[in-house]
Amino acid sequence: MEEKNKSIGKAITRIDGLLKVTGKATYATDYPAKNMAYAVLFKSTIASGQITAIDSAAAEKSPGVLKVITHKNTPKLNIKGGLRGGALLQGSEIHFYGQHIGIVVAETFEQATHAARLVQVSYEEKAGKIDFDELAKDAVKPKGQELADQIRGDAKKALGEAAVKVEETYETPIEHHHPMEPHSTIAVWEGENVILYNGSQIINGAQSSAAATLNLKPENVRIVSPYIGGGFGSKGGQWANLVLTAVAAKVTGRPVKLALTRQQMFNSVGLRQRNIQKVSLGATKEGKLISISHETTTHSAIDSEYIEPCGDCTKIMYDAPNSLISYRVVPMNVILPTYTRGPGKSTGSFALESAMDELAHKLGIDPIELRIKNEPEKDPSNGKPWSSRKTVQCLQEGAKAFGWEKRNAIPGQTKAGNYLIGYGVACGTYPARQRDSSAIIKLKRSGSQVTATIELAASDLGTGTNTILAQVAADGLDLPIGNITVNIGDSDLPPAAGSVGSVGAASFANAVNDACIKITNELIAKSDKQFFVRPTARQMMISEQTLDFQTRADAKAPSNTDQYSTHSFNANFAEVKVNIATGMVKVTRFLAATGAGKILNPKTARSQIIGGNIWGIGMALSEESIIDPRYGNFATRSFGDYHVPSNLDVGKLDAMFINEEDFIPNKLGIKGIGEVGIVGVAAAIANAVFNATGKRIRSLPITPDKLL
Amino acid sequence: MRPFKFTNTSNASSAINLLIKNPNAKFLAGGTNLLDLMKEDVERPDELIDLGRLDLTAVRPLVTGNNVVGISIGGLGKNTDAANHPLIRKDYPLLTKAILAGASAQIRNMATNGGNLLQRTRCSYFYDIAMPCNKRLPGTGCSAMQGINRMHAIFGWSDSCIAVYPSDMAVALSALNASVKVMQPSGTARIIAIHDFHRLPGNHPEKDNNLDHGELITAIEIPKNKFAANSAYIKVRDRNSYAFALVSVAAGLELAGGKIISASIAMGGVAHKPWRATHAENILRGKMATVENFQMAADAEMEDARPLAHNKFKIGMGKKTIVYALEQAFKGTGYKA
Amino acid sequence: MNENKTKLTEEEKKLFGDLMPEELDEIISSGLNRRHFMKLMGLASAGLLASHLIGAEQLFARSAEIGDIADLAPAAIENGINVSFKVNNTAKKVLIDSRATLLDTLRERLDLTGSKKGCDHGQCGACTVIVDGKRVLSCLTLAATCEGKSVITIEGLAKDNELNPMQAAFLKHDGFQCGFCTPGQICSAVALMKEAKEGQASFVTADVRQNQQSVILSDEEIAERMSGNICRCGAYPNIVAAIKEAQTGKNVEQTWLFAG
Ligand SMILES: Cc1cc2nc3c(=O)[nH]c(=O)nc-3n(C[C@H](O)[C@H](O)[C@H](O)COP(=O)(O)OP(=O)(O)OC[C@H]3O[C@@H](n4cnc5c(N)ncnc54)[C@H](O)[C@@H]3O)c2cc1C
Ligand code: SF4
Ligand code: FES
Ligand code: FES
Repeated sequence: MEEKNKSIGKAITRIDGLLKVTGKATYATDYPAKNMAYAVLFKSTIASGQITAIDSAAAEKSPGVLKVITHKNTPKLNIKGGLRGGALLQGSEIHFYGQHIGIVVAETFEQATHAARLVQVSYEEKAGKIDFDELAKDAVKPKGQELADQIRGDAKKALGEAAVKVEETYETPIEHHHPMEPHSTIAVWEGENVILYNGSQIINGAQSSAAATLNLKPENVRIVSPYIGGGFGSKGGQWANLVLTAVAAKVTGRPVKLALTRQQMFNSVGLRQRNIQKVSLGATKEGKLISISHETTTHSAIDSEYIEPCGDCTKIMYDAPNSLISYRVVPMNVILPTYTRGPGKSTGSFALESAMDELAHKLGIDPIELRIKNEPEKDPSNGKPWSSRKTVQCLQEGAKAFGWEKRNAIPGQTKAGNYLIGYGVACGTYPARQRDSSAIIKLKRSGSQVTATIELAASDLGTGTNTILAQVAADGLDLPIGNITVNIGDSDLPPAAGSVGSVGAASFANAVNDACIKITNELIAKSDKQFFVRPTARQMMISEQTLDFQTRADAKAPSNTDQYSTHSFNANFAEVKVNIATGMVKVTRFLAATGAGKILNPKTARSQIIGGNIWGIGMALSEESIIDPRYGNFATRSFGDYHVPSNLDVGKLDAMFINEEDFIPNKLGIKGIGEVGIVGVAAAIANAVFNATGKRIRSLPITPDKLL
Repeated sequence: MRPFKFTNTSNASSAINLLIKNPNAKFLAGGTNLLDLMKEDVERPDELIDLGRLDLTAVRPLVTGNNVVGISIGGLGKNTDAANHPLIRKDYPLLTKAILAGASAQIRNMATNGGNLLQRTRCSYFYDIAMPCNKRLPGTGCSAMQGINRMHAIFGWSDSCIAVYPSDMAVALSALNASVKVMQPSGTARIIAIHDFHRLPGNHPEKDNNLDHGELITAIEIPKNKFAANSAYIKVRDRNSYAFALVSVAAGLELAGGKIISASIAMGGVAHKPWRATHAENILRGKMATVENFQMAADAEMEDARPLAHNKFKIGMGKKTIVYALEQAFKGTGYKA
Repeated sequence: MNENKTKLTEEEKKLFGDLMPEELDEIISSGLNRRHFMKLMGLASAGLLASHLIGAEQLFARSAEIGDIADLAPAAIENGINVSFKVNNTAKKVLIDSRATLLDTLRERLDLTGSKKGCDHGQCGACTVIVDGKRVLSCLTLAATCEGKSVITIEGLAKDNELNPMQAAFLKHDGFQCGFCTPGQICSAVALMKEAKEGQASFVTADVRQNQQSVILSDEEIAERMSGNICRCGAYPNIVAAIKEAQTGKNVEQTWLFAG
């Protein structure tokens, strides 16, 4: 008998890959439009104060200029429409350095860029809050309820009584997402309707926030975003540039293209905030934790609050009867921080997992053993059972594959030529969640050929959405994957969750899966035949001679998830070599062992994991945005100053998936892997650097100067 | 970019003539630095004279009488071609290494040897027209002095500018005692020793070097040396590739057994020009090639360093890198740790 | 999108008749659209019909090919320069602003949007194209300097209905995620093959004095030589594997581990 087509779980090459390797994939600014005009933003050069005058005469006279738009002539927008970061040209107030203050629209990009330089702006400057080192002591409790102090037992007291303790402060700098595609938009008006070609991680979110800000109904705004050149959180919530492009197009009566420059990316689309994290661990002589606290001090924007939850990992990673998680924040004249790959978990795990390594070292226990000793049976923060948790397997299987037994526990001992070699381990976790999503399936038959089209407003920012949805549909409909067309990235399609917080795969796949079941049910119901074995959609289309059939499913997130604690877990193993003379570090080997539920496609999943690992390498070794405390500008202002990892910074990376069947967070067993790949990575590398050199670096990034 | 006239020529003297006619004109070679700065509105020429068609690209032996005395590298030759020329790889591997340490393959395919010498500082305040900067706009002040100056100079800076000169290639050229050959508006050649080519900032940081408007770099000349087998270029940076140096060291050793006949050492990332480590060289001359002597030389060289708020590390890093470069050179060009 | 008014040849009709019978009428009457193309991609990924695909793809490309380059309004050109050059082996003549970079000229004037702008300052490599056989950054190249030159972009790499082996290797090894850096990576990698053949050295070449012949590149050599192409998604190990496979012609294993 012919075996049923099984596509899920196979290493299928990306179905959109051919378009990507031939340069045909269409990102936002790749759409042609007749009579396009080009817009360029200009920005404030103070961090706080008021614009007193804008002289745009020279710019307006400059050849090709169609319009200079400032707060004086921008139509009224709804500043509470859901866009992040303000800067909508609605007033003269300046809240941060590099706030958008105007747009020049011209016939060509060259003309617009040049004219934007000709605008003269005068300000009345106020003393801004820009020096975090000064301000941190004034940090206060956040407004957000979820960031209130979380106290179990008495962490301070227990720490005082602990036989062995670690009390250290860890620092992480401001980081920027810097997707390779700078945020860009083409706006085309057709009467009262506007089409916005714009890379959007959340298609429907972009639509509703753009519509609300423009005082339009959602149906008047269409977001088209089939390809996204990376986002990493910065294209989740949308920013002013999206709507300002629409404004520029409206005002000039032309289709308008507006792309942020790389330099403008530093203060246009959020950032990962700077964090000072104090972690205190108290343990018995045997290495049993009795007290954990994680106190984060950070900053937000002056007028709104976003704080990445650095204590999240600490809440659930280890069993300790006494625990304190707290946040303190200072408002600052910087752009609003935002979700950045592994928000809170990636930076928080650096602090927690470095501290665990320090504790293991003090105790003289292997760091893997210390972690296993403190493995919690239930979620220590709320007492709920885990839906699944494979930390121990990650540690053990990972250690075996990595060759952990070769590690010399005494730091600074392993030399090879002019290099010191070290191994480090660190764990990580990220919540597994799912959101509501809808999907339409359209079946067509011609002879015995059945084909399907899947439609939903999902997004694929390199995560592989197109491919995994084709796989889910292929299995759900009993079709070869080649007979599936996936249509996503358009707000005209049924609403879906976003590719954020690792909910994308689970939510989209669930909707498609529900639609497959539903369409099969409906095909069966429509027929008057009885079946002993449930037929597939393909079989029904053929046996019933149906030419066309379609249905829509509105899939809900599972309701029983609340009774469980649902997370992915990992263990990261790093080998570094540190040049003794120069202090330059290279991650020569890295292994991430991950328990993240069902792996739909190991090829794309591996890419997601190693991509996260490489982000972690950047976080550990090179990424840092520095604010000049006098002005509030970024002294690291270009892609030349902000060092994301280059190819040579990356050694051999391996992804290991721990088999895990967990259908609680999601019917298909999907937990999501977009974020967990970065969590724990920086700590594993910092711990390896300690093992190599005996130097404990508690402030990222570990640049050569810190190892001298 | 501001509007500019684009002018083409295939002949050196007409290029020079075009340039002197217009004080706001600039030569365009590979464009990798000039266009970057024009996009930032730092450079504002109203005319570009494209040198792309000038026939000044050859690498050839430098001959006096019947003797080969060195090598001449065309001012408009590409960095890639200079680095990979068989004669340079064999006899001037230090130059090959230094060029290959810089930028990326694509940029080296575009960048010319002359343009490389004339690249401007990467000081981020210089690049940001919203910031005061004496180099960009004399008299406005130096933002870096009290600002973020981790990347800045520890030698030879002045109160008006603390920027460093970013070229890797020029560091090797300094250790190699190269000269820059320029054609003057009169048509005659002028030879400038590499040590006199770049300037310290003094009171005129706006002048990076001693080239006058209307002078065209036609070639770089390098005399023969005796350390091809014992040279090393070490570059310390914030990531393993495609980043400018925190500190770099070019070192060449002329050896007789374990004894140093002479040492050539230059540093990058520490000053407004390639920093020739003459103290260290003097100490090493005639000494045995031992780690202790290397350390002594490095310590002496760094004694005069004047660090700023954020770059004290460059002193220790400079010492270690000098020692490391000397060790590598001693072990032999191409030795891989 | 551009309308594709291209008439199908008999051969092409057969191709689409085989592949997408139910869409044939639509294709004949109104041309290929993105949905058709996505579907073709689906067939490709299933290992079907790879050889047919590029034919289809080129047909798709024809729809975007423009015979006449749209002239800009007179107000849009300052210091106009006429440039004649070859792009993907086709002669082009275009009147440009002297300030126009090669990148913007390709993207905004010649409808070749494959080359990407990641930074516009030489700091990322997304705009890499091949000019007269060498990889360069189109964002730091003035179009005006391209007179008489030959430019190859990502759109011009597939030949005679077949992907360039480097494109195929990237596809196989998942040498990308979002795909935005990919055109630059692939152009860079294609030119790299030639550099290696010529025996060029890199900063990690142990002894630059030795072996100036054609070299088979180690992983470290590939990584260094590709470091001018930033990939924020972090596809580097896959890119190295793809290049290795393309260079050696030998299968490079793709690995992931399952345990527990
Ligand atoms: C992202 C990036 C990273 C880089 N990293 C490094 C690095 O790590 N190390 C390093 O050393 N360099 C690095 N560079 C700099 C690069 O090497 C230089 O930009 C390049 O060498 C300049 O050469 P060019 O021919 O492009 O000069 P152009 O930009 O064309 O010209 C520079 C200047 O020189 C003048 N000029 C050019 N040729 C002549 C001539 N023959 N006679 C007189 N005047 C002339 C021009 O008028 C202009 O003012 C980097 C550049 C970039 C963009
Ligand atoms: S160091 Fe020099 S280049 Fe930098 S801001 Fe000061 S004057 Fe300008
Ligand atoms: S766009 Fe040209 S290098 Fe980044
Ligand atoms: S694939 Fe996204 S940047 Fe490389």
